[in-house]
Amino acid sequence: MKRRYLDYILALVVILSLNFFLPRLMPGDPLTAIYGDALLDMSPELQAQLAERYGLEGTLGEQFITYVTNLLRGDLGYSYYFGAPVTEVILEALPWTLLLVGSSLLISTFIGVLIGIESGWRHGGRLDSFLIVAVMFLNGIPSFFMGILLLLFLSFQLHLFPLSGAVTPFSGYTGMALVMDILRHLFLPCLALTLVQIPRNFLLMRNSMIGVIRTPYILTAQGKGLKERVIQYRHAARGALLPIITRLGMSIGLLFTGVLFIETVFAYPGTGYIFYLALGKHDFPMVQGTLFFITLFVLAANFLTDVISAKIDPRLREHAYQLLDRT
Amino acid sequence: MLDINNLKVTFDTRMGEVNVLNQVSLKIAPGERVGIIGESGSGKTTLALSIMGLVQGQVQGSIKYRGEELLDKREEDWEKIRSKKISMVFQNTGEMLNPVYTLLDQVMEPYLKVNPGKKKEAFNRASNLLKKVGLREDHFYAYPFTLSGGEVQRGLIAMALINDPELLILDEPTSALDALTRAELIRLLDEIAQNKTILVISHDLSTVIKLTRRTAVLYAGSIMETGPTESLLREPKHPYSRALVRAYPTRTTVKDLQGIRGEFPSLVEPPSGCPFHPRCTQALEKCSQEKPCLVEAEEGALACHRGGIITLLRGENLVRRFPRQGKEGKEIYFNAVDGAGVTLKEGEILALVGESGSGKTTLAHILAGINQPTEGKVYFQDREIYSLKGREKKDLRRRLQILFQNPQEAVSHRMMVHDLVEEPLEIQGIGDKETRVQGVKEALGLVGLPGDSFFLHKYPHELSGGELQRVTIARALVMKPKVLIADEPSASLDASVQAKMLKLLMHLQNEQGFALFLITHDLALAGKVGDRVAVMFLGKIVEEGPTSEVFRFPLHPYTELLLDMAPSLEREVPSLRRTVKLKEEEGKGCPYYAHCPYSTELCSREEPPLKEKGFQRVACHRAAALEKKNNNNSYYKEIKKVL
Amino acid sequence: MHINYWTELKRNKFGRIGLIMVSILVLVALAAPFLAPHNPWVYQGQPLTPPSEEYILGLNDIGQDILSELIYGTRTTLLVGVSVAVFSTLISLALALAAALGGRIVDRIILRLIDIMLILPVFLIAILVAIYFKPGVVTIIIMLTLLLWPPGARILRAQTLSLKERQHLTAASSFGAGKGYIVYRHLIPDLYPLLTVNLIQMVRRTVFMEAGLAFLGIFDPTQKSWGLMIHYASEFIFTGAWKWWLLPPGLLISYTIIGFALIGYALESSLDPRLRRNIHYVGH
Repeated sequence: MKRRYLDYILALVVILSLNFFLPRLMPGDPLTAIYGDALLDMSPELQAQLAERYGLEGTLGEQFITYVTNLLRGDLGYSYYFGAPVTEVILEALPWTLLLVGSSLLISTFIGVLIGIESGWRHGGRLDSFLIVAVMFLNGIPSFFMGILLLLFLSFQLHLFPLSGAVTPFSGYTGMALVMDILRHLFLPCLALTLVQIPRNFLLMRNSMIGVIRTPYILTAQGKGLKERVIQYRHAARGALLPIITRLGMSIGLLFTGVLFIETVFAYPGTGYIFYLALGKHDFPMVQGTLFFITLFVLAANFLTDVISAKIDPRLREHAYQLLDRT
Repeated sequence: MLDINNLKVTFDTRMGEVNVLNQVSLKIAPGERVGIIGESGSGKTTLALSIMGLVQGQVQGSIKYRGEELLDKREEDWEKIRSKKISMVFQNTGEMLNPVYTLLDQVMEPYLKVNPGKKKEAFNRASNLLKKVGLREDHFYAYPFTLSGGEVQRGLIAMALINDPELLILDEPTSALDALTRAELIRLLDEIAQNKTILVISHDLSTVIKLTRRTAVLYAGSIMETGPTESLLREPKHPYSRALVRAYPTRTTVKDLQGIRGEFPSLVEPPSGCPFHPRCTQALEKCSQEKPCLVEAEEGALACHRGGIITLLRGENLVRRFPRQGKEGKEIYFNAVDGAGVTLKEGEILALVGESGSGKTTLAHILAGINQPTEGKVYFQDREIYSLKGREKKDLRRRLQILFQNPQEAVSHRMMVHDLVEEPLEIQGIGDKETRVQGVKEALGLVGLPGDSFFLHKYPHELSGGELQRVTIARALVMKPKVLIADEPSASLDASVQAKMLKLLMHLQNEQGFALFLITHDLALAGKVGDRVAVMFLGKIVEEGPTSEVFRFPLHPYTELLLDMAPSLEREVPSLRRTVKLKEEEGKGCPYYAHCPYSTELCSREEPPLKEKGFQRVACHRAAALEKKNNNNSYYKEIKKVL
Repeated sequence: MHINYWTELKRNKFGRIGLIMVSILVLVALAAPFLAPHNPWVYQGQPLTPPSEEYILGLNDIGQDILSELIYGTRTTLLVGVSVAVFSTLISLALALAAALGGRIVDRIILRLIDIMLILPVFLIAILVAIYFKPGVVTIIIMLTLLLWPPGARILRAQTLSLKERQHLTAASSFGAGKGYIVYRHLIPDLYPLLTVNLIQMVRRTVFMEAGLAFLGIFDPTQKSWGLMIHYASEFIFTGAWKWWLLPPGLLISYTIIGFALIGYALESSLDPRLRRNIHYVGH
């Protein structure tokens, strides 16, 4: 586990370095690289002030120290497009993203695991074949295209769901009505994200199941005369679930990538959407800040699952890895 | 008493000059019992006849009897020597006695020649002797054709003794006799030999070992080795002597018989250099050019350019340490091989026995040069193999081959039979494409597999387990190695295929002349195959010796246990003579202490070193006790009495 | 086991379909100049013209022929996909071999590198880098290659290490084979199946990534890319133009991914002994 801590620290260093060096190593004025087009609208005084703030006059080493201290203070810079500090904008958007990611994580894991169990238990069977084909198609649809398809058909054509946003603006909903409004807005983005995530969980669980049902302890369970369902869920699925947990971190990373696109498509006011807006306006501090923030989040999620899976009995963990390595 | 020096005997035949004896030198002291062994055609009988002055052909060199040169003697001088001083019992080929005289008459005849007219004395002496050799009175007056082979042989012996000669030459005294008659005759001759000097010529090793104390090995008219009979037969130094011993069946031979590879050489056109070199597994170029002289060696003499059977592979104090997960994730170390030493001689089969986990495979890999030992050195012909570099290392790989335990894992399943067998040649860069194909086909032919294109293009999974194992053997043999290390080569095969596989390996070992280091957990099997057997326990060699000795007289309690547990078709469930007790201090004392039923307090304190004991080496404080027990074993007593 | 992948693929229903799908793509990419009715870079007429006989899928917002754009887009997709797949697989292979042959310390360093790279959210970093480099085809190939090798390296390393312990390699070295021989004659051929699967999966992943980046507008705008088409078309999502402008490139992306996924699945199931029920050997 100590080694894992080191991995995370090194990963963090990589990300910090990328964030720091990329704009500074670009040819031309670093301030332009950092601020992008917004710089054109600024007065020379403001530019000088900014340069000082980034310590751009100093050596690279001094600049790096300034950069890190700013980060530690939670200062990711100022967004000219949003007219507010980057951190503030992100924190405002974050709850929506978390809502979307959280709900979709739960649902997609649940469904993926469930059909994975069924598919793996009778792999090669009719249901399995059908699910494999279905998942293959589902897996072929990039998240943004999935979002666009749902938006076009369910909202635009059939008017079943709102076209954009997280709440109806100026509706003045409160209480239950507000919750329903939020859920109505949440439904499509969440569905899109869930659909995109299902294949991964499904395939992981299916492979894991196939690994498990070949183990002798399933034969023992059958020998005990247990019901098939009991064997399938209590004996097989439980063992097969372990790899899913150990790979949860990676799922979260992918979710945060997916949410970027889904929010963009649905104009859902989370971090992904503000990123897209800032990107379009070349508001680089905002772009960089959002990416950095999400990256940190993904790292944290990865780290958490690593800690959790380290808590699992090492022998069980070994078993889990073996199951997956056999695939 | 008898001093033969550079004796050379040639015959002129239609085919040309035949060299029957070549520079034979042999001394026989008074009262000595000397044996001469060798295949038929080796010149044994000619040597005896030369001593008797009866040989037809040109004789050169010298034979001195009590300082007198026998070769200068004229026919009338000989009459005073034959029968009176030197007497010979000829090989009984059927008509050694004149059919028209009675046995008694013929036995009396030499006496009457020396003492004319003393018929009474002659009768007394002859009938005494005939009684002594175990004939009844009714045999005295029988005509020879009414007598059995054994009775004739006894008669011949009595006849040879009638003038009480000093030197008795016995030419194949026991051949063509049944086992019981032979045993009786050997006892008789042993008794007679008490106050005589005897020279026994025989291909029957069991007769020679019982009647003589010193033996010379004759091959194609040359003496290859001389030495004390017992050690010569148990641990022959010359490759030919060993081949001779290997081909000879005895009651205690456990191992399957192996003939001598190649054909006996033509005496008309004898091979240049050492006569044995075409059949020898360790011949050098020198051996085919220069004839080796008989050089005095410890306790005997040896005629071999290589100083006798050479040691090919030698591992000394080998230790291989492996890390192992200990308590609380700590890394501890254990020695899979813990101070084992092994010597593998040219052309021999050494079987290594031990239970699983005793470190056999690790030891095999160390010796094969693919697993560097933590401590100790491995020598291949006196060169440390792990320090070899470049060309020398590559050469070593050619001469040292290993057969892995599981053929399925030892081959790449991507490659076809042809590519598999060719691979070593390709790696070594031997020959061009065409000669390699030829080599592959030959190697496959050796192991009894077809070399046709259909078979060459098969993939491993299309072969049976036995076929695949043969392919791996062919692959190992394609470079004509000097040493083959086989790690349980038949463990994955069922008994019937296993038997074939081992037969094949033994046959190949003999024909190709490589040394075989066979690893097995099955002592019964080791006994069938090995010339020598080494027993391994917990990374150490606890006992080692000639297979027949180890099987008859196991000196280590662990060997004894393995022998008891070896597969048998007896219905009785063997009782496990194995205790489990704790040592006072872990890591000290004999490694077998915990299971040993004979252990003493000394065993728990001190680890026994590997010590010589007769022809065996054993690491046990209690080996003497076990030896005594063996000797008291009534079964063996019985056998000893009979012989 | 010795398997003929080509035969395996053709025998597998999924593999067959995937092969056909991908072959069509390759043909279209190769024959793009002959297949495309117009030059996709040239202004054809009134922007946003709906489909007509002349312009089967209409014109885009700057008056270029959408069908021709789609056809040329095939080239970009395949070029990026295949190049990244090949290069990143080569990196993975090199690292795997280095880990297997370089001794314990080298292996530990490589493993560490792989582990760190696997933690990083690759796509986000790709975006970050891409923002500064304004990627054209070559830059995007380099960037994605550098980002996408770790999963392949992890699998290849594990496999190479386990292969290294196989006895037939020990056997080869007991015949005197050097490292070079073992790598070329044993390790790499033994890795072929895994390399093939990795290559296919990498194409699939790259197509994903490339489309995603282009969708966000992070791609050289002069290139013809399906993702970029969606990017532009999504601004006109509420006009009827999405039917002929937005859907076709999206479907083509899915088509490509599914084609490669089918091949990958077929290969994987022929590799996985558990999934392979009827083994078809060749060599008779």
